[in-house]
Amino acid sequence: MAYKDTMSAEAISALGGAVEELLHIGKGAPRTAEIDKVTGKAVYIDEYQRPGMLHGKILYSKHAHARISSINTDKAKALPGVRAVLTGYDVPDVRVGFLGDQTLLKRDVVRQYRDEVAAVAAITPEIAEEACRLIEVEYEPLPAVFDPLEAMKPDAPLVHEVDARGRPLRSNILPLPWKLTAGDVEKAKAESAYVVKDEASTTWINQCCMGTSGCVAEFDSNNNLTFVSLTNVVFGAKGRIASYLDNIGLKRKRIRVLNPVVGGSFGTKLDTDIYEFICIQLALQTRKPVKLQFSRDEEFFALPPRQAARFTIEQGCDKDGHLTFRKCEAILDNGAYTSWGATTPSVMMLPMSSMYRVPNVLFQATCVYTNNIYSQAMRGYGNPQAAFALETSMDHLAEVAGFDPADFRMINRNQPGDVTPMECKITTCPLDRCITAVREKIDWDQKRGKGNGRGVGMASLIHVAGGARIYMSDGTGIRIKVTENGELDVISGSTDQGQGSPTVMAQIIAEATGFMPEDVNMIFGDSALGLWDAGTHASRHTFVAGNAAVRAGAQVKQQILELAVQYIPKLVKSALKKQKRKNPDFVEPELDYSLIDSPEKMDIKNRFIFPKAEPDHPYFRMEARDVVRRGLHVGTGESKHVVAEVFWDPPTQMLNAEMKGNYSCTYAFGAAGVEVEVDKETGEVKILNLVSAHDVGRAVNPILVKGQVYGAAYQGVGMGLSERVQVVEGKVVNGNFRDYKILTAKDTFPVEAVIVEDPDPAGPYGAKGIGEPGLVPTAPAIANAVYDAVGVRILDLPITPEKVLAALKAKGE
Amino acid sequence: MGAFTYHKPATVGEAADLAAELHGARFVAGGTDVVVLLKQRKIDPANLISLRNVAELTYIDSADGLSLGSGVTHTRIANHDYIRARYSALADGARVVGSKQIRNVATLGGNICNAAPSADTACPLLALDAAVRILGREGEREVPIDDFFLGPNKVALADGELVLGIKLPATSEKSGSAYIKHSRRQAMELPMVGVAAWVSVSIGGSEERCRGALECEHTPDVIQLLQNEEVVLEDVRIAMGVVAPRPIRAREAEAKLKGQVVSGALFESMGDVAVSECQARDSFRCDAGYRLEMVRVLTKRAILKAIDRIMRPGREADIDLLW
Ligand SMILES: Cc1cc2nc3c(=O)[nH]c(=O)nc-3n(C[C@H](O)[C@H](O)[C@H](O)COP(=O)(O)OP(=O)(O)OC[C@H]3O[C@@H](n4cnc5c(N)ncnc54)[C@H](O)[C@@H]3O)c2cc1C
Repeated sequence: MAYKDTMSAEAISALGGAVEELLHIGKGAPRTAEIDKVTGKAVYIDEYQRPGMLHGKILYSKHAHARISSINTDKAKALPGVRAVLTGYDVPDVRVGFLGDQTLLKRDVVRQYRDEVAAVAAITPEIAEEACRLIEVEYEPLPAVFDPLEAMKPDAPLVHEVDARGRPLRSNILPLPWKLTAGDVEKAKAESAYVVKDEASTTWINQCCMGTSGCVAEFDSNNNLTFVSLTNVVFGAKGRIASYLDNIGLKRKRIRVLNPVVGGSFGTKLDTDIYEFICIQLALQTRKPVKLQFSRDEEFFALPPRQAARFTIEQGCDKDGHLTFRKCEAILDNGAYTSWGATTPSVMMLPMSSMYRVPNVLFQATCVYTNNIYSQAMRGYGNPQAAFALETSMDHLAEVAGFDPADFRMINRNQPGDVTPMECKITTCPLDRCITAVREKIDWDQKRGKGNGRGVGMASLIHVAGGARIYMSDGTGIRIKVTENGELDVISGSTDQGQGSPTVMAQIIAEATGFMPEDVNMIFGDSALGLWDAGTHASRHTFVAGNAAVRAGAQVKQQILELAVQYIPKLVKSALKKQKRKNPDFVEPELDYSLIDSPEKMDIKNRFIFPKAEPDHPYFRMEARDVVRRGLHVGTGESKHVVAEVFWDPPTQMLNAEMKGNYSCTYAFGAAGVEVEVDKETGEVKILNLVSAHDVGRAVNPILVKGQVYGAAYQGVGMGLSERVQVVEGKVVNGNFRDYKILTAKDTFPVEAVIVEDPDPAGPYGAKGIGEPGLVPTAPAIANAVYDAVGVRILDLPITPEKVLAALKAKGE
Repeated sequence: MGAFTYHKPATVGEAADLAAELHGARFVAGGTDVVVLLKQRKIDPANLISLRNVAELTYIDSADGLSLGSGVTHTRIANHDYIRARYSALADGARVVGSKQIRNVATLGGNICNAAPSADTACPLLALDAAVRILGREGEREVPIDDFFLGPNKVALADGELVLGIKLPATSEKSGSAYIKHSRRQAMELPMVGVAAWVSVSIGGSEERCRGALECEHTPDVIQLLQNEEVVLEDVRIAMGVVAPRPIRAREAEAKLKGQVVSGALFESMGDVAVSECQARDSFRCDAGYRLEMVRVLTKRAILKAIDRIMRPGREADIDLLW
């Protein structure tokens, strides 16, 4: 397979060949921006206050599917301190959401337990809550459907009778035909030496952000809106809110979306949720700022979790172990409405088509309405779900074909220059190094195949790592201004979700401009100040914003050096003159001004401008800010401000009608290895050791990279062993931290994060995105390790003791 | 959470008087159950009587058996060397309650008065044959712990009655106990099943070889080797949690074991009996079938661990170690 470099020459030159001389990239700079968080000073949405602010609360449905026969709000309205009570009758009948399949407040039918039925604004959250309790709603229950397979049957109760445009619907199957094909799967199957077929499923996972959801909406006298939101897609949110306001008759209003400090995101801040529209509506009604903040209970039952999925996967290989085909059908429980969960197949397609070399591929996904909760994004999007099916199937096929699973992965590994069936162009790809690192560090060859209750398992991953063109623009804007004091005020159009972006961006900007990381003042999350940005998602921030920063930084440096050509001679001469005045015996040195007569002859490092030919020049080596100040205060009409603005859109393609295209500049690879011990009497799985090796291009900040890998690995173990939102007849029954089994500090085990560097020509200083990958291979590696330990394949997550014990019993142990 | 008046008596007498006066008042010790119930609006008392300043309720007295004030925290129990050595099951239970923060404020009295089927000190206290000291209108009385638990969150206390503490009988060198909490994670957790066992043994063979047996990795080997040394279960008490509406004694299983030499077959048949004494329920937290399966495994393991404590005293009781 041939590959031609399509990356911009500009991006490659950002590497500059001077990689060895990097001063700030690759350093484990501490996250000084986060000290306020750990000392309690940071202002999260919880602490965010506005004068006269009211508090909103939502009343939810008591049924999974029911007709609302009456709503009485009289008592709630009469409660002292209540400023507004809204029901579906009080708000415009305007649809919101990705498929426009819901309204803010439901007035005729509720289709899930979390349906918003009424909302209150009051002077305290307690009064608002009390008022919600006083609202009387009568329901007539309707037949409901909770299993997507049942819901697909022709006689199933319809969750929606009409679509967004009012056209009648006859089926619960969504009009989202996800399908990707390449080659000829059936022919390849017939020709395969070995074929395996499995069913795998993953369930709902709550993102468990430390900070719960919330927002503050405030209109001015002209109905322009300031919306303080946790969104990680400032401009996406703004666009959705603008069209909502437009639809309710507030046309062409100015909207400013602002982020407070955000307490974690993990996918929850990607869509604009219903509570946010409700908050806006309450603010409009009361003419006051309104805050709506979720309790932890609401965070569990009213916030969409990770999309659940069921897969039927078939794979085959030839006698030498080369994959011949992969065929996978997925069914997704869409819940009652549609958020980003329904688009997770777009990401499932990447591993399904492009993990390992596989020439013939068929992937299909069907999303089905049910009366369950609906889903959205979570770290990895659809990748962890797909990887679970794919990587457990890989182990199965390796066994059937008689290969060691690690060897089998090496045989089929992706390689630089490959173009995958999805038409993704693989540039850098140290997957072999990742697999080998895991193999060594987990002691694979010693520990595998013992079948004595202990075992090892492995899984790999591919993920977008150079942006992801899921919107027509995958761009981002950045503006760097250098002040007279030598600070760099940087406004990024993107957001900081707590992942360390202020630190990483400061390192990149310091490197590109010649200043120090501590000079950089990062400002994120303000739609009025920032240039457009596609959002902090898809592991894209360091890559895309970093690329913009490298370019803007280069411009800043160039501007300063141009000023230097102009003003260093003047500054030097006036200093000499001054000295002469003070000391008449002073002999002016003979200076060679040709050393600094063009920007190319100079550079800036660690705040100092210097001639390249003589970096320690006693007169020409000068603090950059002195030159910036001089340039800003010229005294004639020629003052200049050092400021650069770059909007950068990666050179990638939108997926075409066949869902193919190179939608990321580069892709990240990795592998995880797990050693487990299984208690055969109780079915418990204990993790003894976990190694996660990741292709990061270049680690801008190794400490932060490892932090991403550790956190993601633990989340992956939660997904693998213990986490599940339990939904019984549409109702979340374990919506609290007692019953939702996220791992605790006492459940920790050793995790080794291995950083594999292979600088990518498209990345800022070679970096690839690493936000999501660590989660992806963890759960399947555990499942594979359990098989190695006790010989049972648990293909339904999470791998609970009950499932393991039942499988052992079925096997006769 | 509704509004309430918060009373802070300094003595048992003041607390009892307040309780007699304020009908329907709630005692609050560590508050780790009460506050949750208040927030969930499951209770809505007009008065809360705090026991936090009542120093009289925080005694630990090992002069005659063991006496513990109701206000003793789980942390104190878990860290108490004598309790760990001689009433190990209770220390096992106390040290797995919630999290460190919870254990630092939550009390033994609160745990048994709240009487969750999953309460982590309940099975240990049943297996250790505790009596509950209660202060009522007519003065003090003692109730065996087995009569104290009536049902989920129901105990044998009349309105205004206060638990002063618990008493545990003296134990001999030849007895030991253990509690195993079977849960999905290591902290902040309710057990799927909890089992406590107390045993006293006599040994026909060599104690040295028994200690050797306990070094083995596989349970069947341990049992076989103990059998070889004629380890007789002279007396046994077993308690099980989350398999019935309240924590229960497995009296028939106990009877089955009493006076017998340990053996694989004995444990097999004991497991069957213990299971037959349960009324386990399916819930989203765990299936009944799995709970019952675990009753078999954990009764056996708890007894073995109790034996281990007799044989290898002073050895740090490692809950996670299962041979
Ligand atoms: C996060 C969390 C985790 C938890 N984990 C566990 C766990 O792992 N295992 C476990 O068993 N429990 C657990 N619990 C429950 C709780 O911590 C324990 O039951 C604890 O022992 C209760 O003690 P307390 O002092 O806080 O009781 P309180 O909440 O103060 O009182 C509990 C009940 O006892 C009554 N009461 C208290 N003292 C007396 C007295 N002297 N006389 C009469 N009545 C009295 C109160 O009126 C109330 O009804 C957990 C709780 C939380 C919040």
